[in-house]
Amino acid sequence: MPSVCFYFQVHQPFRLKRYSFFDIGKDHFYEDDEKNKLILDKVSEKCYIKTNRKMLELINRHKGKFKVSYSISGACLEQFENHRPDVLQSFIDLAKTGCVEFISETYYHSLSFIYSKDEFRRQVEMHKEKIKTYFDQTPKVFRNTELIYNNEIAAFVEKMGYKAILCEGVDRYLGKRSPNFLYQPAGTLKIKSFLKNYRLSDDIAFRFSDRGWTEWPLHADTFASWVHKVAGNGEVVNLFMDYETFGEHQWEETGIFDFLDHLPKEILSHPDFDFKTISEAADQYKVRDIYDVPDYTSWADAERDLSAWLSNPMEKEAAARIYKLEENVKKTGNPDLMDVWGKMQTSDHFYYMCTKFWSDGDVHKYFSPYDSPYDAYIYYMNVLADFETTVEDALKDSKGAKKTIRKKEPSI
Amino acid sequence: MTTPPIADILPTDTAELPKVLMLGWEFPPVINGGLGVACHDLCIALSKYSNVTMIIPKSNPDFVVKNLNLIGLNTIDAKTLRNVGYTDNYKKVKQVHFIDTHLNPYYNGNGSPINDLQDLNSKYLKKIQIGDETAEIFQIDDLYGGDVIEKVTVFGKLAAKLAMSLDFDIIHAHDWMTMIAGMEIKAKTGKPLVVHVHSLEVDRGGPHSKGWVYQVEKHGMEVADLLMPVSNFTGHIIHDYYQIPWSKIYPVHNGIRPVKPFKSEPMFKEKMVLFVGRLTRQKGPEYFVDIAEKVLQTDQNVRFVMAGTGEYFNPLLEKAAQKGIAHRFHLTGFLNLDKVRQLLSRADVYVMPSVSEPFGLSAVEAVQFGIPAVISKQSGVAEVLKGSLKFDYWDVHRAAGYILRLLHDDVLTEKIREDAYKDLDFISWDHSAKRVVDGYRSYRLLPAGV
Repeated sequence: MPSVCFYFQVHQPFRLKRYSFFDIGKDHFYEDDEKNKLILDKVSEKCYIKTNRKMLELINRHKGKFKVSYSISGACLEQFENHRPDVLQSFIDLAKTGCVEFISETYYHSLSFIYSKDEFRRQVEMHKEKIKTYFDQTPKVFRNTELIYNNEIAAFVEKMGYKAILCEGVDRYLGKRSPNFLYQPAGTLKIKSFLKNYRLSDDIAFRFSDRGWTEWPLHADTFASWVHKVAGNGEVVNLFMDYETFGEHQWEETGIFDFLDHLPKEILSHPDFDFKTISEAADQYKVRDIYDVPDYTSWADAERDLSAWLSNPMEKEAAARIYKLEENVKKTGNPDLMDVWGKMQTSDHFYYMCTKFWSDGDVHKYFSPYDSPYDAYIYYMNVLADFETTVEDALKDSKGAKKTIRKKEPSI
Repeated sequence: MTTPPIADILPTDTAELPKVLMLGWEFPPVINGGLGVACHDLCIALSKYSNVTMIIPKSNPDFVVKNLNLIGLNTIDAKTLRNVGYTDNYKKVKQVHFIDTHLNPYYNGNGSPINDLQDLNSKYLKKIQIGDETAEIFQIDDLYGGDVIEKVTVFGKLAAKLAMSLDFDIIHAHDWMTMIAGMEIKAKTGKPLVVHVHSLEVDRGGPHSKGWVYQVEKHGMEVADLLMPVSNFTGHIIHDYYQIPWSKIYPVHNGIRPVKPFKSEPMFKEKMVLFVGRLTRQKGPEYFVDIAEKVLQTDQNVRFVMAGTGEYFNPLLEKAAQKGIAHRFHLTGFLNLDKVRQLLSRADVYVMPSVSEPFGLSAVEAVQFGIPAVISKQSGVAEVLKGSLKFDYWDVHRAAGYILRLLHDDVLTEKIREDAYKDLDFISWDHSAKRVVDGYRSYRLLPAGV
């Protein structure tokens, strides 16, 4: 009896403003408040509010047979707290149905595992606290930023007590095997890997509105028939995607909400199929084989590796410099500095610096708030120069930071 | 990136190639600006894909370009021009208002076009003795000096006469100086006219230009069957300021001549930020002074060097002095190519703050020398140099921020240098020439079978 496991990623970064070289030493507020609020509002209206309403409706309509899982980054939850409590409340309402699971990740949606295990652990714990506070759940499933994954991460989070971890089903490691089973990460004992079925996931997330696609326009019954083909040859169908797929990446006009509206009914029309949260599926199904991933994989770009964030020297320099600050920032004990430092670790900053111009560059450009990857790097490094000085000053001052760094900009 | 010897790339049988009649103005050894270089290099590259015959006002008989049938109007016998009728297409242009175009750096005359070919002959054709032969030569020494309107008109008449004795499929003119000739030839022969647009009066004189040159350009572009601006940026100007429909605008980016870059010992201990170009409104030189001031307020260890000359020379000198940055600001005056390269071999950052730059080869030359370029968005080259930092020419703050970042960040400098080198693979005259011929074909301007 195969189960469809929906997992949606909800994330918004704290974007940095166009921070000039001339601002260094003068301006200690780095975030582009206005733009962040604008984007949050836009995505809330186009996606979060509408899709949550639809999800709640579907859960009620199917009397608990429709289930989904979410991961909402801490950075995003904070922005909901500050600007869109209504969106936060709609997620809380979903949590109360009992049909929705919330998954662990790093609070700042960061690349911390690659640079500092201590920081990684701190952020996962922070995030867990936040989830507990709002949704009254203690996550048992982990997913790392952008599904960044390898054997080491799986083993590490197993030790942290997680029973399942999400990852991309990468052909070069999966070979001819199917992503529609649970796997045992190499070098682990109990934790189970859920592999994204990228073909079916991307049919919704990327191809849905592509008029050049032979399957366009895609209807729920057709898609369900593809899912049903898994019967007899799989136990899970892992449909993992950005939540913003609904209404933001695929606009309402494409018919994505109608598609979503009909999908549970069509999937459930096959008596062998059901929906499960990740935890339920992890409890239900056994692992069928070892999934051995020595190098980092992710769900980003064609390469499915780290190249979306860490392939060029600018990205590597920026990341190395921010993690180099760890010791000093932690030494200050100043929560404001810790917070700024955390937010600067958000993977999006590095994503904007990506210069894989001729292949995936377009996608990076779509998401970037800046004119070019160089601008992304330049603003980041200007901010970093100011932040480094602030941390140094704070260390010199035994009482902690001399200045409050997160003071909001005066409104004119 | 080296160009193979012309002989190696020539197709053995050139019978099927399109026959192009190219109308040039500047050409080696008479070169006053980028137009001559661009024209020359495009023709050489184009000769791989077509048979090019070129008519230009003046050519040195000693200057032989392989595979190019180069006809200078000063080297032909006037007898070949006899008995060929001519139309008076140029008169349409003549009827428009005459307004002095003082803003035009290329043109300061205010003469009127002349009508009588005999007068022209006596004025511009001069008998000279070559061995036993007596030849008449077309005498133009300074292309842009004196009465340039007259010269352009004469060129049009004589080129049209000459064209009647030539075999070609298509006319390819360059800029307003040869548009009258192009229109004349089109009217007489019915052959399609392509106008290559390297620079416009609106670039040189500003958006309110409406003088004689503007009228020639507008009329010429209306008559032309296809326009090939050197960038999308210039395509927009053609569309927006000359009301030409997009359907006949087909941008062809310029190429660049490969060079062997070299590095030289620094001349001073400070970093060097370089500008190369004519000191005219179009190039935005005064923004360079503002940028310099802004950078120097933060970092005194930088020198700003401007290579080039023009009517802004003295005002710039004064402006730098007024701002109190003269000790870090240097105007070199005119420099020849060798000297410019000496500067390129030492510069740390290249800045091109052009107000309206159809292409901007100088920025590509800087890139060839591995210099990170900070260039205005109001340029054609911004479309092909991904590896560069771009600003609106008035955004001095942003440009200065970029320069400071580059001067203090080796990672960024190296990354931009690397990306720009990759861009160079796509900037070649061979690419441009292919696109030109593709343009002839896709707009169905060639006879069947060519």
